[in-house]
Amino acid sequence: MTQLAIEVGALAKVFGGLAAVDGVSLSVPAGERRVLIGPNGAGKTTLFHCITGTLKPTRGSVRLFGRDVTRDPEHRRTALGMGRTFQITNVFPDLTLLENMTLAIVGTDRRKWVMHRAVAAFADVRRQALEGLEAVGLAGRAAQPVKLVSYGERRQLELALALNTRPKVLFLDEPCAGLSPSERQRISKMIAGLPRDITLVMIEHDMDVALGLADRVTVLHQGRVILEGTPDEVRANAEVREVYFGHG
Amino acid sequence: MLTSAILQAINGVSLAALLFLLASGFTLSFGLMRVVNMAHGAYYLLGGYIGLSVAQKTGSFALAIVAGGAAIAVLGYFIDHFLIRRTGENHLAQVLLTVGVAFVLGDVALAIWGGDNLMVPAPKFLKGSVVLPGDVYYPMYRLVMIFFGVFVGVVLWLLYKKTQIGAVVRAGVDDREQVNATGINVDLLFVMVSALASFLAGMAGVVGGAFLTLYPGAEWEILVYALVVVIVGGLGSLGGAMIGALVVGLLDAYGRWLLPEFSYFVLFGPIALLMLFRPRGLFGKEH
Amino acid sequence: MDRGRLALSLIALAAALALPFVAGPFWTGLATQMYIFGLLALSVDLLLGHAGLFSLTHASFFAVSAYTVAILQVRYAVPTTLAAPAGILAGTLLAAVFGISVRTRGVYFILITIALGYVVWGVAHRWSSFTGGDNGVTNVPFPAIGGVGITSHTQYYYLVLAVILLCALGYRVLIRSPFGLGLRGIKASETRMQSLGYRTSAHLYAAFVLSGALASLAGVLYVYYNRFVNPVASSFPISVEAALMAIVGGSGTIIGPFLGAGVVLGLRNWVSSFFEMHHAIMGAVFIATVLWAPDGLVGIAARLRARFSRPKEPGP
Repeated sequence: MTQLAIEVGALAKVFGGLAAVDGVSLSVPAGERRVLIGPNGAGKTTLFHCITGTLKPTRGSVRLFGRDVTRDPEHRRTALGMGRTFQITNVFPDLTLLENMTLAIVGTDRRKWVMHRAVAAFADVRRQALEGLEAVGLAGRAAQPVKLVSYGERRQLELALALNTRPKVLFLDEPCAGLSPSERQRISKMIAGLPRDITLVMIEHDMDVALGLADRVTVLHQGRVILEGTPDEVRANAEVREVYFGHG
Repeated sequence: MLTSAILQAINGVSLAALLFLLASGFTLSFGLMRVVNMAHGAYYLLGGYIGLSVAQKTGSFALAIVAGGAAIAVLGYFIDHFLIRRTGENHLAQVLLTVGVAFVLGDVALAIWGGDNLMVPAPKFLKGSVVLPGDVYYPMYRLVMIFFGVFVGVVLWLLYKKTQIGAVVRAGVDDREQVNATGINVDLLFVMVSALASFLAGMAGVVGGAFLTLYPGAEWEILVYALVVVIVGGLGSLGGAMIGALVVGLLDAYGRWLLPEFSYFVLFGPIALLMLFRPRGLFGKEH
Repeated sequence: MDRGRLALSLIALAAALALPFVAGPFWTGLATQMYIFGLLALSVDLLLGHAGLFSLTHASFFAVSAYTVAILQVRYAVPTTLAAPAGILAGTLLAAVFGISVRTRGVYFILITIALGYVVWGVAHRWSSFTGGDNGVTNVPFPAIGGVGITSHTQYYYLVLAVILLCALGYRVLIRSPFGLGLRGIKASETRMQSLGYRTSAHLYAAFVLSGALASLAGVLYVYYNRFVNPVASSFPISVEAALMAIVGGSGTIIGPFLGAGVVLGLRNWVSSFFEMHHAIMGAVFIATVLWAPDGLVGIAARLRARFSRPKEPGP
């Protein structure tokens, strides 16, 4: 049996009496590509926040490769191998793309504490940053401030930042949100081309994209898991259809 | 010793009553309008001076309180409308701007009332001492100050919890969008709350000026006490302001008594503890 | 650095070096103050312009350092070689304590730093047996190392100039380092920085202590210039004026805080020569800056340059 990359145990998050996530258990084996689907308000993003440490869960536990990280702060989880993107683009608008990438690259090692040497003096960081931008097709934009590039390019940068924290498990929160069909295709291709040793957990609204990328799919509804299975099983399931398309 | 301890407790509570007047306005304006108004101390001082002049001319302490409060309510409206409004929700800009306003008001007050310690004359029936159980003599005025503070606190509490306007304000403190949804004239509501906050500050200057005296620099000293009250209680919380005022009032009284040279240092304790355990104060919310 | 800026820097340096010869002692004194308070403003701006934290307690580090030097030199005849480092150490240690305020953000941070600043002012003001109360500590000598000492304000001017040039160079390295970039990242999005693996509160704490050390250094320079220190040095107006200087000059830059210090000090000197209410004038500068020049002089210069260097629209 392969090792479990992520193990979520009976996790709940309550906001003012309302359970956004209501006892979710989830196991993702290392190397798997798991997609979370569910209608708006199903608790997908909240679940993500709790797993990656942006929010503290009300109850339940999170394990990363067998290690209990429920109480670890977010930066520690990142150091242990969790990487994530945000549904609402969360990059550094006043900094250049290169500087954005530099922050991601030195964030998981001790070089982030260096005070006596200019960033420009780290040739290897610069090379890695340019390679990272190249990988998402942004190399030509390296010197531009983020606020001057398009929304689609920011989404690509969002992905590049997460990839450069050297993640073992990557959490992608609707990487294609708000993109045009052609940009959408480009990003899903990029995701499909990621090395298979990175475990992938992804929220996706677009059923075609989701079912195309996933090894397995977890369906959330009103803060609970209502189904877990292969893309084909999910496609065939009546309950999922009901949740997504209503009766009929 | 025990008698002194009791006296200091009453001193602390009476200071708390005064601080509550000032801090409640500050915390409500932040809660509803997200405005940090550092000129609140200057409002206090100016209100006190205006009350002083009115009391000297008319001999009426009640009139002095109303005049000090009302004058500052009007002044506060103009400062709010023409200056603070233009900063949006940029707290840094608000702080710099209102510190600037406080500097200007402080200098104007200095030019008019001079640099001496002045005391607002309290009415005759509040002068002298009361004999408390255990043969303790205590100044009547400070004792009445406690009742006045409780009275204002109760009135504010009722306004806040029991009236429709209070309900809207509470909803606004939790979530500003809700106020827009109620169909109430938001601008009018903001003007009212801001006027109330300024009125309270001006009034506090008059009642405080009758036992703490008024002098240049008093505006900053009182403001810092009010800030600590708000930090301890949590920004935007009326109940927090009450408890914060008691904590600060008592700590100050005992600090002055037991460690006179380090009385300010005593204020550091609660701030430090709060920062370690509750960075948003006892009743503070996420903003 | 492009050639225009290099030329400008060299001209500024030449002017600074020539100043005591061409201008009288009044201007030399004003320039010394501008360097000292510019350094204080620069320390405030490390947090304000780079990390996005608005501290109003920096007068505390400035004053604790100044008091330490003054008390050691005057009462215990400790030489400058020990007193000056002790001053910086004392101010920095206080910053390490007050640094817990980085557990808070936004308005809370502003309010808490104001309150902390008053704690120090209160101690300076009330603990008169040690601090000298409102009179403070007087008769601080000029600094001396071994047998060699400063003997005039002109000599001291050059010492201060040398120190702030070194500081500016060090500061420049710091803000360009990975650590400095990290601060700007935190200013832009703290949540994202955490998800990239940064323990942001530790970063901010380190910045706070560094900034406190710089403010302490300014305090040492101040006390040897002023030759006395009293509670005014620790007061709230000093903290808030330091922030104002940074903003007036241009927050987030190195030259800005020094320019801002020059403007604020120059204006105050000039106004107080014919008008008593100089606090009111300072207040008006606060208001005007917030309403009309939030980016400061450097921002205005950048806007002007952008306007004039823009290529002309092609004619019809």
